[in-house]
Amino acid sequence: MSLRFDDQFLKKLEYLHVVSKRAFAGHNRADRLTAHRGRGLEFADHRPYTAGDDFRHIDWKAYKRLGRLLLRLFDEERDLPIYLMLDVSRSMAEPAKFDMARRIAAALCYIGLVHLDKLTILPFGRGLGQESSPGRGKGRIFRVFEYLERLEAGGPTDLRASFKEFAARPRQLGLTVIISDFLDPGGFDAGIKILRTLGHDVFVVHITSERDRHPGAFGEVRFVDAETGELREVEVTPRLASAYIKAWDAHAAELEHFCGRYDVGYVRADAERPFEDVVLKAFRQGRFVA
Amino acid sequence: MTFGAMAAWQAWLLLAGAAALAAGLFFIRLKPPRMLVPSILVWSRVLDDLRQQTLWERIRRAVSLVLTVLIALALALAAVRPGRVADGGGRSVGRLLVVLDASWSMEAGTRGGESRWDRAVAEARRLFTAASGAEMTLATTAEGLVEGPTTDLALIETALERSRPGGGDADAWPRLAGATAVHFVTDGATARQLDPDVVVHSVFEPAPNVGITALAVRPSLSPANAGDAYLEIGNFSDAAQKIRLRITRGATEVLDRELDAAPSELLRQVLPIPRGGDPSLTVKIEAPRNELAADDEAFAWVGRARPLTVLVVGSQTQWLRAAFERDPDVRAAFLDPSGYRTPAARAENGPDVIIFDRWAPSEPPAIPALLFAPPPSTAWLSSGAASGLAAAAEERAPKWDVPGTHPVVEGVDPFTLTVDRARAYSSPALTPVAQSAHGTPLVYVAEASNRRLVVVTFSINESNLTAAPGFPVLLGNAVDWLAHPVLFAAQPGDGDTLRGVHRPGLTAFSGIVTKVTGPGAAEIPLTRVAQTAFAHLRRPGIYTAEGGGARGAFAVNLADPQLSNLTRSSPGPKGRVMTVAAGAAGSPWWVYFAVIAFALGVAEWWTWQRRITV
Repeated sequence: MSLRFDDQFLKKLEYLHVVSKRAFAGHNRADRLTAHRGRGLEFADHRPYTAGDDFRHIDWKAYKRLGRLLLRLFDEERDLPIYLMLDVSRSMAEPAKFDMARRIAAALCYIGLVHLDKLTILPFGRGLGQESSPGRGKGRIFRVFEYLERLEAGGPTDLRASFKEFAARPRQLGLTVIISDFLDPGGFDAGIKILRTLGHDVFVVHITSERDRHPGAFGEVRFVDAETGELREVEVTPRLASAYIKAWDAHAAELEHFCGRYDVGYVRADAERPFEDVVLKAFRQGRFVA
Repeated sequence: MTFGAMAAWQAWLLLAGAAALAAGLFFIRLKPPRMLVPSILVWSRVLDDLRQQTLWERIRRAVSLVLTVLIALALALAAVRPGRVADGGGRSVGRLLVVLDASWSMEAGTRGGESRWDRAVAEARRLFTAASGAEMTLATTAEGLVEGPTTDLALIETALERSRPGGGDADAWPRLAGATAVHFVTDGATARQLDPDVVVHSVFEPAPNVGITALAVRPSLSPANAGDAYLEIGNFSDAAQKIRLRITRGATEVLDRELDAAPSELLRQVLPIPRGGDPSLTVKIEAPRNELAADDEAFAWVGRARPLTVLVVGSQTQWLRAAFERDPDVRAAFLDPSGYRTPAARAENGPDVIIFDRWAPSEPPAIPALLFAPPPSTAWLSSGAASGLAAAAEERAPKWDVPGTHPVVEGVDPFTLTVDRARAYSSPALTPVAQSAHGTPLVYVAEASNRRLVVVTFSINESNLTAAPGFPVLLGNAVDWLAHPVLFAAQPGDGDTLRGVHRPGLTAFSGIVTKVTGPGAAEIPLTRVAQTAFAHLRRPGIYTAEGGGARGAFAVNLADPQLSNLTRSSPGPKGRVMTVAAGAAGSPWWVYFAVIAFALGVAEWWTWQRRITV
């Protein structure tokens, strides 16, 4: 399936930018303000001149008024390191889910590229896959599309192992976006905690589908786990189906509560929902993009 | 434990196999359709939660497995028909004979609701089951050896289910060569002389009863009556009872009244039976304390209810008209020889007897016939002899000086009879019963299964027969012998048959009897031994026997005080009598196992309904 967006949607995306709760400074100049003082466009403050300072930054008007040499200080604008961690395990293989996850990743990439952020796409499953950094500038979006279209879902999910592997390499702190269904038998909390402990600003995009939320069948069924091949024979009665739906809602609520408790952004993206609706409304409501 | 359907090792093997098969099938059952899901994480959580919530879900699968195995075991046990090894059984017996007393009293009910017969069958079943593997034989006092010797318990079981009480003589005792153990299951109502090695199992339990102990029709002194019915009803109970008595003649009810009977009282009644009407008489009684139904109904056949029909064929028969006019039991019709047509067989409304006076048809009659001086040229009377022999055997003025003993000539005074001429007939079927001093036959009889004849070899023209005192005796004897053939082969000492009392059981008939028909017009099979035909009359009722071209009806009744009195028993010698416990006639074990299997099936269905996972 083609992930390409039409021009109209791309225009809409250009007006958005990814919001990080914290300010992270990248290595390159960009249009994202940082806490650093440097060569920016926005005036930040004055400080007394000391020997060796660049006298070009001396505020002569202030000297005339106050009689002291003061230097003008500006906020430095740098890029934001954004890590897009995309779940490519077998549980994401359902076309609707996987397409939704890749399109979200593509949209975030485009927003980041427009704002010259430093993007890194990291597919993960049992561990981290081959990561990709498309570079800077919105023209790179087509490389992103090609890269995402080549991805295939397979293998089990291990969030903890994947994020541990992510943490093992020295990286700039930044915004880490996890796009996953979080159906990890080992649990999701340990993996997210690792990212939080590193100091990243973590954002969770919870991909769900109708097949996840509902039993899908009544009567005697042998459910086969797509990732592990494990079998469970279940007589799906109306009572049991109701219990399943409640359990799944509890699972989703647990993830959301966990995110809230650890200051992790959370947005749920149902695969059946229109993609533009998810990006333009849900992400805004979740204060992920502005 | 023993097993009725097979050897013990086979039964145990079957049980083990059934349990293993059920357990195997429990695990190797039909697999439901597969459904690929992203993850069973949530399903596991749901199911584990539900299991943790209820103890039932934790043990349900184990319970279901146990129930499945138990169902298989119960069904297998029902199939192998297990039984308890009981005392008194013939486990080590080489050849076992179990005799069931088939007296009618065995139909009596007990306080447990079962009959004595049910209890006896259960006891026999127990004995056979205990002797599984030995050669087994089942016999009843009514039918002799019923099944066996066999080692197949299924055959014995079938025979037990088939057997029913059917009377039988007190002397009748089935014997089995080489029997190493003989068990007799009885209520002791009929006293028997038993061998000392017979083990008696008594199913006796005193029971109140009301029964008809006698019903007989005797000749009446009044010419208006066909007879007098003598009826005897016994109340064999320790309490007074009201007995409802109903008597029907054919389909017409002639009496319906209530009688008061004191404890142990015998009520006797004599009822006049008017001439005319249906000859069959049925008596029924009803009472509240009455444990035996077989003796509540009795039958009688009133032979004189209808007069005999006699057809007289001859040219000058006035002398016979005068003889029959005075007899109310005979209705005579007269016919000229030119109008006679030989009937092929006895018609329902045809004559009972035909009398040919000095004339004979060209074909022998199929109906009993009395012939007075038939022409010597009659071919069927002279067959087997040369044509001149008949004339040569003629004797002038023969003297009948020796009184006969045959029923036809019994009581005929020969000394007052003067005969001018008598002639002999050469047919080998004819047997002379009265002869002259020179050996010339004066009276012949012929008796075969299809024909009865009486031939008087002299005519009234050639004797003083009509004036002789012996004439009405001879005529009455001949008509009576022809119309009422002796159907029963009475044995010496068989008082009942001689008295005309017939009871259900094996009955001996005369060799001339060709057909016996029971109640409901059912034909009774005949077994011929020498000159006697035997038939098993299984239940009370009106029977008919045909033979010699005649037909006779008779009633079969229980009518025995010994049988109706259910408070007495004489089971056998002390020390050899074992009392059968009440309730022994309960269903065999396999029935209970089948019920258990059904109940377990219901329980398993319930567990299946209550399952979350299978």
